[in-house]
Amino acid sequence: MATLFRYLPILVVLALWEAATRYGLVSKLMVPDLASVGAAFWQLLTSGELVFNAGRSLGRAFIGLAAATAFGIVAGLLMATIRPVRLLVNPLVQAFYPMPKSALIPVVMVWFGLGDLSKIVLIFLGCILPVVVSTYNGARGVDHVLVWSAASLGASRRAILTEVVLPAAMPEIFNGMRTALAFSFILMVSSEFILAKDGIGYLIATLGDGGAYAAMFACILTVAGVGFGADRLFGLLIRRTLRWREP
Amino acid sequence: MTATRTRRRALGDLLIQSLVIAAFLLAWEMTARARVINPFLLPALSDVLMRIGKDLGSGIAIVDLSLTLYRALSGFAIAAAIGIPLGILMARWSLVRWFFDPLISAGFPMPKIAFLPIFVLWFGLFDTSKIIMVAFSSIFPVVSAAYAGTQGVDKWPLWSARALGAKERELLWEVILPLALPQILTGLQIALPVALITTVVTEMLMSGKGIGGTMMNAGRFADSVGVFAGIVEIAVVGILVIRGVEALRRRLLVWHAETRADA
Amino acid sequence: MEPTVGIDVRNVSHAYGARNGRGVVALQGINLSIRPNEFHALLGPSGCGKSTLLYLIGGFVPVQTGTIATARGRVSAPSPERGIVFQNFALFPWKTVRENVLYGLEKLKLDREERERRAREFIELVHLTGFEDAYPSQLSGGMQQRTAIARTLAVDPEVLLMDEPFGALDAQTRRVMQEELRAIWQRKQKTVVFVTHDVHEAVFLAERISIMSARPGRIEHVIDVGFDRNAGEEVMKTREFVELSEHIWDLVRQQAIAATRGAL
Repeated sequence: MATLFRYLPILVVLALWEAATRYGLVSKLMVPDLASVGAAFWQLLTSGELVFNAGRSLGRAFIGLAAATAFGIVAGLLMATIRPVRLLVNPLVQAFYPMPKSALIPVVMVWFGLGDLSKIVLIFLGCILPVVVSTYNGARGVDHVLVWSAASLGASRRAILTEVVLPAAMPEIFNGMRTALAFSFILMVSSEFILAKDGIGYLIATLGDGGAYAAMFACILTVAGVGFGADRLFGLLIRRTLRWREP
Repeated sequence: MTATRTRRRALGDLLIQSLVIAAFLLAWEMTARARVINPFLLPALSDVLMRIGKDLGSGIAIVDLSLTLYRALSGFAIAAAIGIPLGILMARWSLVRWFFDPLISAGFPMPKIAFLPIFVLWFGLFDTSKIIMVAFSSIFPVVSAAYAGTQGVDKWPLWSARALGAKERELLWEVILPLALPQILTGLQIALPVALITTVVTEMLMSGKGIGGTMMNAGRFADSVGVFAGIVEIAVVGILVIRGVEALRRRLLVWHAETRADA
Repeated sequence: MEPTVGIDVRNVSHAYGARNGRGVVALQGINLSIRPNEFHALLGPSGCGKSTLLYLIGGFVPVQTGTIATARGRVSAPSPERGIVFQNFALFPWKTVRENVLYGLEKLKLDREERERRAREFIELVHLTGFEDAYPSQLSGGMQQRTAIARTLAVDPEVLLMDEPFGALDAQTRRVMQEELRAIWQRKQKTVVFVTHDVHEAVFLAERISIMSARPGRIEHVIDVGFDRNAGEEVMKTREFVELSEHIWDLVRQQAIAATRGAL
């Protein structure tokens, strides 16, 4: 009930939208009315076009994100525990961190063309740094008494890394993954606006070019909604996994 | 640890960091020279730097850079001008908070770049739509930070000021805002790189001039040197902007504990 | 049960900071012989290096000068023979009480039944039966420390190292824990090295007390505390206890004053 009340303003916005278009406050051309958007959404959904394209987009994003998470956590842990690795990799991470990964769109276009690989690589590159940095910080921040306790209970170096450092760093790692999730959506959409033959970004661009604005609105709201939903779901996942934190 | 030892350690780290980056750049140059990788995929660093020099000389780079910065800073300014008051109002008026809170928190994880086609539809193909896109993307961290900063102000200085006779308006400007400033600045610090990135991406998506547009053009014409030149330019601008903002923050917050803690 | 081991500390010095030893000297020329089964307290003002000495004995910090050895050989790395309990409990917060206690047992390559049995036994020893499935964040400080003690004891170390284990607890809980620790030590054969800055605690628990000075850390006095192992907390009210405590308190105070003077 409380959640419903919290998101009520969104309904207010929708109501205002409907009122504005119905009473001619804005041109229906620029702002399609709610009904047309809804109808276009339904049409896209039932024709399968929306699901197909969204599926391709999310599939690519998932692969890129999963790879980035796996490599990122391993890299972060290695950096945190092995000094030479840290000295070598840290400056590179610091140098590349402030660079917007979206700037790599033309680069992956040159390297991999317009197919799936360019987008997967782009998302991988864009998402790996937040995971590396948060894993590194999380691992470094582990209280040394936890490590010492494990050592005095007979744990090997490897066991300490996987059984103590990694779980202790999870809260921070999850934060990095959440950021990476948001990045993956941004990179997914922007790369598909430019270099794609399918996917939801491509769909939006095509609909816009073709003047089907109601359908375009419908797709944009869909992808925004999915991005929001993914973040919330991930938040729930984090809370469940970390339920040992605060009762 | 003594002060000199900390300084020496910091210098040592800086040295190693610079060495690693230098080694990386050297490796780049050597690999490209040795034609290990197709020069189309990885142009030599020297070629890229020469291109940047050439573009700077001919003025193209200056035009692009100024255009990108103009768009980014305009969008950022709008985001700040609307976002800060909105955040403060949210903290002071529960109705405002009720209305905007879900919009802000729902908007945060959304890929806001998806809304670009809408802005193009409404505002055309030129600077206006780009600037509005940038403002839209950047406003979220600003509102969030202004809200949190104003909300989190300790009630003790407020009560003291009231007891000393301050009126509501004076209270806002003379007590609340200065105390909320650190957090507001943090929000702005986050928003500025966001504004830059959004500008570059928007330029890529809509072509024309500006660093993003030029890079995208280079990509289309298979001019990989141009593409890499663009990346280097963005990286440099990004670092300069971030460092500049950090310095500005230190100047503005001279009175604050966090600045004194470093000294 | 095998007789437990003693600890031999010979000429140990330790410095933090520069690698060539030109840093802060934490310990200087420590010579200490702890007998098997002895309850030995390290007492001193802050900065006297007592925790450092404990970590060296445990093998968590490598020895720079001198040697530390038990009957098993030189100490060079952490090992289940020397268990440790920390002031901030150091429990794995993502594991329940039972899982924490099972952690060391899993490393011992026992079969499942034996592991579970031992875990139960030690959880019972520290009076935490019924709380096996609780997470540390759900427990009070005293209960968390009991879990830590159970976890350490479960792997049956010969030496028990304790770094101000009750320092984070309130006064009442501290008293209760001191008595319980006494009781556990009476039941199990262990050499205990106990770091504290609380004189009463040291006099109540220990058989011998090393009083340390600060800057640099040295052992200035070693006092024999003669109280009956089976004495309860009423012993704290006896004249001998009070006098001994005051005497030791004076010694410690002297070290604390000397340390501050040295720092000025």
